[in-house]
Amino acid sequence: MITIPYLTALTTYFSYGLLFAFGQFRDFFRKIFDWWQASNLQGYAPICLGLEDFYIRRLYLRIQDCFGRPIASAPDAWFDVVERYSNDYNKTLKRTEKKSRCLNLGSYNYLGFAAADEYCTPRVIDSLNRFSASTCSTRVDGGTTTLHKELEECVANFVGKPSAVVFGMGYVTNSAILPVVIGKGGLIISDSLNHNSIVNGARGSGATIRVFQHNTPSHLEKVLREQIAEGQPRTHRPWKKIIVVVEGIYSMEGELCKLPEIVAICKKYKAYVYLDEAHSIGAVGKTGRGVCELLGVDTADVDIMMGTFTKSFGSCGGYIAGSNELIQYLKYTCPAHLYATSISPPAAQQIISSIKVILGEDGSSRGAQKLARIRENSNFLRSELQKMGFEVLGDNDSPVMPIMLYNPAKIPAFSRECLKQNVAVVTVAFPATPLLLARARICISASHTKEDLLKALEVISQVGDLVGIKYFPAEPKKQLQPGKETIKLE
Amino acid sequence: MYVRAEPTTDLNKNTEWFTYPGVWSSYILIVFFSWLIVLSLLGTSPGTAWTIVHLSHFFVTYHFFHWKKGTPFADDQGIYNGLTWWEQIDNGRQLTRNRKFLTVVPLVLYLIASHTTDYRNPVLFLNTLAVVVLVVAKFPNMHKVRIFGINADH
Repeated sequence: MITIPYLTALTTYFSYGLLFAFGQFRDFFRKIFDWWQASNLQGYAPICLGLEDFYIRRLYLRIQDCFGRPIASAPDAWFDVVERYSNDYNKTLKRTEKKSRCLNLGSYNYLGFAAADEYCTPRVIDSLNRFSASTCSTRVDGGTTTLHKELEECVANFVGKPSAVVFGMGYVTNSAILPVVIGKGGLIISDSLNHNSIVNGARGSGATIRVFQHNTPSHLEKVLREQIAEGQPRTHRPWKKIIVVVEGIYSMEGELCKLPEIVAICKKYKAYVYLDEAHSIGAVGKTGRGVCELLGVDTADVDIMMGTFTKSFGSCGGYIAGSNELIQYLKYTCPAHLYATSISPPAAQQIISSIKVILGEDGSSRGAQKLARIRENSNFLRSELQKMGFEVLGDNDSPVMPIMLYNPAKIPAFSRECLKQNVAVVTVAFPATPLLLARARICISASHTKEDLLKALEVISQVGDLVGIKYFPAEPKKQLQPGKETIKLE
Repeated sequence: MYVRAEPTTDLNKNTEWFTYPGVWSSYILIVFFSWLIVLSLLGTSPGTAWTIVHLSHFFVTYHFFHWKKGTPFADDQGIYNGLTWWEQIDNGRQLTRNRKFLTVVPLVLYLIASHTTDYRNPVLFLNTLAVVVLVVAKFPNMHKVRIFGINADH
């Protein structure tokens, strides 16, 4: 639950109103100005209506330098950020040759596999030499190598399901699977803060979509009861199928899903559960098996488990794990399997090797160390930031840590000031988050050392004071008097 | 001092900001401060300032709530392109709290403007016209109605 100071809410609405008003004025004058100039596209329809890209042109482009910064090295704990400059107030940005070494608080590098790893990288280079960089074919034509078979078995084993199918891209996994498993006459009930790929897949399926309040199992039950009683929209016939879509860790809140209650409700009303573990697979749980292990839910109760390899495994692609019949069905109907190029062999080898490291099958205990380190790092940073007075969202043990900013002007201020002190953070605003709730999202990695975290704390605290985002009162610091053993509270 | 922001179930990013706390107060405060600014910049009587605020409020809200259609971003692939903002809020449900509030504001402004100008004639006519147009546009029966095809889709 996000707690906003009332005055901040008022000033945020006022700021957005002002930005909107200025944008409208500029559009108005631009229209008058362009009316005088003749256009050489007479008779052609416009590519986009003038309204559709209002947000991009008048709000996003003004702070464009805070997004999409190019990097020039692997996204490890420290990386090189390319500096850019603009001559026309951020409408176009030009790259320079200069790079600055920054602390990486934005990459999804939960277990530290994003940079060269002593076990994974030699094997990946080996597979590159053996299989080359691309399979140049779809899975059904000539793109299934022994690596793909091994990968699917490995993933099914890791997740705890009978079998799995792997795709080349994580976004496509959601948007190509949902239309295949449900169609017109079915009902999709999805959490209100689900990722865009799920929303796209649900819209593409043609099923009716209903939304329940984020992470509120009681509201899910209410929506289920209402929909089952009413049936399909006009005919009131019973629904052909009901799927409830939730995520393991919500990437913008850092919260864990209330999976046990939701699974219990779905069992009661005979709805299928689709769990998107993009951020939680490999990062939470005692052996890294995701949110089911952490919350003690039997994987046989979750019907379709989806995940991506981009976050904890340092690779690319997505998977779906389920029963043998389901995966068999997906393999002959899903367009991402039939028509899209299969996952690149070095990427597949990276996933196999990283799963082996996590499970300890490479002979060392590095996997368990990484899991312990990411848990300690996240808990340490979260508690320290909260003590300083920042509003940090997310549950304990979650490596995703959004710091609330709210006002639109604080977004570029925070981002630019942190970059000046060599800390790279990712800021997220409307429309990825609700209008009022802009935030800076920090992703902790197992490769962050204690010194890195202390530096991050120092920089964020300084910038936070400058920008004014310590919305909660800071906890009083305890000070030890030199020579005495007493603790004095300030 | 602090308010809780509960996540809404509204998928339309163009209208879901209206369900968060603080919107009603911001709206009222913006109208009040614009009256103060008009009063200080133009130096007219308070009544004329209220009339100016009322009429400019009419133009601005009519243009943005009942004339402009669609959303200012392309993420939703144009599913709301035929609907004005008023038709989009609260998912198209009528007579919700937000809609009732937005109907009351122009009425209250009209009462203040006509009272402070002592119901004198030319100004009273303009004010009445403004409030009648705005309130009729907000009736539930006017949902998706386009009179004489004005502002209908291409």
